[in-house]
Amino acid sequence: MPRIASLFFAVLLCLFASMALAALWQSGMRANTPTNSAAEPQVSQATVHSNEAHPVIIRKPSGPPRIELAGRDPQGRTASVACSTCHSVRQANLENKTAATLDEFHQGMTFNHGNITCYACHNPNEPDALRLADGSSVAYENVMTLCSQCHSKQAESFAHGAHGGMNGHWDLSRGPQMKNNCIDCHDPHVPKYPKMIVGFKPKDRFNEPSNSEHQQEGTAAHDKH
Amino acid sequence: MTNTEPNNTQQAESSAKRSLPIVENFTRRAVVKGGFATLGAAAFVAAVSPLRQAAKSTTAVEFMQQHYTELSPEQKADVIARLEAETKEKYGADVTIADDRPIPGTKFVYAINLSVCNGNGKCVEACHKENNHDRSTNQSYIRVIEMPKGTMDMEKGSTTYSGIVPKDDKFYLPVQCQQCDEPPCVDVCPVKATWKEEDGIVVVDYNWCIGCRYCEAACPYHARRFNWKQPEVPAEEINPDQSYLSNRVRPVGVVEKCTYCLHRTRRGKLPACLEACPTGARVFGNILDKNSNIRWILENKRVYILKEELGTKPAFFYYFD
Amino acid sequence: MSSIPLKQTAITSYPKFIGRALWLATEGSFAFYAWMTVLTAVFLVGANAWANQVAGGMITTNMTDHVSWGLYIANFTFCVGLAAGGVMMVIPAYLYDDEEMHKVVIIGEAVAIAAIVMCTLNVVVDLGRPDRFWHLIPGIGKFNWPMSMLTWDVIVLNGYLLINLHVVGYLLYMRYLGRKPNGWWYLPFVFLSIFWAISIHTVTAFLYCGLGGRPFWNSALLAPRFLASAFVSGPAFIILVMRVLRLTTGYTAPASPARTLIQIIRVAMTINLLMLVSEVFTVIYTGSAHAAPLNYLFFGDHGKSGLVPWIWTAIGMNLVGTALFFTPAALERSHVRILACLLVIVGIWIEKGMGLIVPGFIPSTLHEIVEYSPSLLEWKVVAGIWGLGLIILTLSLKLIVNVFTGRMHTDEPTT
Repeated sequence: MPRIASLFFAVLLCLFASMALAALWQSGMRANTPTNSAAEPQVSQATVHSNEAHPVIIRKPSGPPRIELAGRDPQGRTASVACSTCHSVRQANLENKTAATLDEFHQGMTFNHGNITCYACHNPNEPDALRLADGSSVAYENVMTLCSQCHSKQAESFAHGAHGGMNGHWDLSRGPQMKNNCIDCHDPHVPKYPKMIVGFKPKDRFNEPSNSEHQQEGTAAHDKH
Repeated sequence: MTNTEPNNTQQAESSAKRSLPIVENFTRRAVVKGGFATLGAAAFVAAVSPLRQAAKSTTAVEFMQQHYTELSPEQKADVIARLEAETKEKYGADVTIADDRPIPGTKFVYAINLSVCNGNGKCVEACHKENNHDRSTNQSYIRVIEMPKGTMDMEKGSTTYSGIVPKDDKFYLPVQCQQCDEPPCVDVCPVKATWKEEDGIVVVDYNWCIGCRYCEAACPYHARRFNWKQPEVPAEEINPDQSYLSNRVRPVGVVEKCTYCLHRTRRGKLPACLEACPTGARVFGNILDKNSNIRWILENKRVYILKEELGTKPAFFYYFD
Repeated sequence: MSSIPLKQTAITSYPKFIGRALWLATEGSFAFYAWMTVLTAVFLVGANAWANQVAGGMITTNMTDHVSWGLYIANFTFCVGLAAGGVMMVIPAYLYDDEEMHKVVIIGEAVAIAAIVMCTLNVVVDLGRPDRFWHLIPGIGKFNWPMSMLTWDVIVLNGYLLINLHVVGYLLYMRYLGRKPNGWWYLPFVFLSIFWAISIHTVTAFLYCGLGGRPFWNSALLAPRFLASAFVSGPAFIILVMRVLRLTTGYTAPASPARTLIQIIRVAMTINLLMLVSEVFTVIYTGSAHAAPLNYLFFGDHGKSGLVPWIWTAIGMNLVGTALFFTPAALERSHVRILACLLVIVGIWIEKGMGLIVPGFIPSTLHEIVEYSPSLLEWKVVAGIWGLGLIILTLSLKLIVNVFTGRMHTDEPTT
């Protein structure tokens, strides 16, 4: 049996096999294109926007804060006072920046919002409202306008859904979307977002935390034991 | 004739003295060999008897079920009815499994603002609850890496952080399935149990997957999870709003992954991780809608993707603000 | 009855051939019975362990989402190398007309058959849903060919098994009948098996080296390294088999085939070591983040060093084995040769198995370090697979010896 003939046979076999495989490949590639796609994805305004029936609901504060009085009246009712109750009869100290100088009310209030005065935002002429830098009045319900005045970058991000999170629907034709107000997350007097404690950690098998984690507080570090 | 008759009688008599033909043809050696062979076969059957217990947890109908893309609507309805009944039987919960198909004209993209994420892990927990993950392992599709500021090298990061976040010198990088446009996991699956759908989501048919875990090896983002055991979820904690390709309770021995909550997003809702994020770091939407939030992010923020050099083309972007 | 002999047809003689093969497969000395009983016991332990794994879920192994392939795939990789090693006998015998090698090449093919069966079993036990195996069958299931390298692996491994079964079966059957084998029936397949053997291990390497997310594997050198180590472990195993044959059946192969194999081992092992040095240098000198898996493997990382003893043992065994192979004593029928074979077989098993598959996953793609060491159940299953493989090897070698020594021969007149 000539060796060369066998080698030739093997090469021929491989050649035919590769041709058959290549043919299969082509049909395989064609089969891989999606056959059950309902429609080719296109840039379409119609499916998303023109049917927009649902609003983006932004939470609002209900109004200026009121201070609850201690005790009850003889009829058992509690009472609260508005800002203007005191501030309409007092002289405004336009330079005050901290609660430490105040000896009546607002005791112990922390303030950490830059080097601005109280009346940079609060309105001395209208105690139950706020004011912008040009003096125009802003109701407490519209506090976001005041925040946006200086924090326009965050305001722009907020308008495009990139700041503050949301609940509900991305597709407003199918349902509403609820967004937070600035002060839902940021206390206006100490706006820095508070630190949190990690509450939930996956427990991957054989994946114990390294020794340095033992110095941390928190339930997760203890779960590993 | 008459001469042979006595011979026949003699033969008949002598054969009556011999034993049965079956004993004649088999030597003692053959009997011993047959005995040991039977013993061996019996030992084998006994050895693999636990398979019988495994066989109980599956049915003939489930065994014969075809690939999801080849089921007719009637077959799908049958499959879904069977799965709902099985969930009721195994977990004691009444669930509704839908068959959510992509919305035409959508391609989903996700973005995370790394200047805002503080690593609190509420997204991890929301995914755990929304997708009916195993309770004992706190499983979730999301992992958050605590990274030191000034580097993007994950080698310097850690996923096992805990305590008070954010730490001052760290930033936090949540990673989940990137729904790549060129997914290596789809390429390597030998049975096409995972594929990319028209809206960009890479899905898995849990009733087709053979559990070889090649996709888990191929994924560069640790996005896939394998069900090493039957997931354990108490009946009252099961999310009853389920979909065939996403958050129905998965069987043992199959691979699963984040589906951008397609049981929510294909109905126009936001994914669970985004809703749960308290800092608002996550943005999700349809990139084909030029007015969408995600489009604005991609056009106005300096976004980047993970492991870009691998050519996976993720649909998941990160940016600093 | 009739004085004309019945014309021999395959329909009558082939079942007799099989029947006699089975009968003689259960004939032997006490040592043979003891060996087969031990192997059967090990196989049954493995089968039971696997059944428990199927019933209890793969949580019974120590694999995790981080290290999702372990001992089973490690053993699979090594066994593919064993199977490919037989080609190092076929090439001298058929391409270079080495007459002496011609006499023993069938042993290499028998080893290939047993090794491929072990490969397939290793993959089956690694499946999370082995009951869904039918999903792989083209036409009935969905076969993701040509995209998925696993589908290529299914094709090439099964094809190699069929080629070897055919060649061995045909040659034995012809010998049994006392007829000269017809070249057209087996020579093309033998030549095909040369290319095919290279392909099985190249495809297996492509399984790993095509994954960009696993930088430890994503190296162009992986496929050549696989081939180099296969051409060491395969021939080494065959040398051991030939020694066992001599000791148990008295059949003495000619001296030159083993010498040829040892020459091949010398070259292949040197190339393998060179490639190892090349990989280590490329990674360590560059000092990039991609060095993490290699660092973990050789030196440990972040305080975790589970694989360090493994790899250094393997390196040591490989180096000592290679040195022994280069001694003149290795070319003689000596203990040196056997020791060297054992050393490189174990060394390559570790280096290719635990030293390649597991570090591919450590650190994980998110750079977490989750260690892996096989559970008792995994060891049992793998032992069971080896038991079955050795049973198949023993029986096929027994058949070969019986046929080639004439003990098993047809008693019908040959045409």
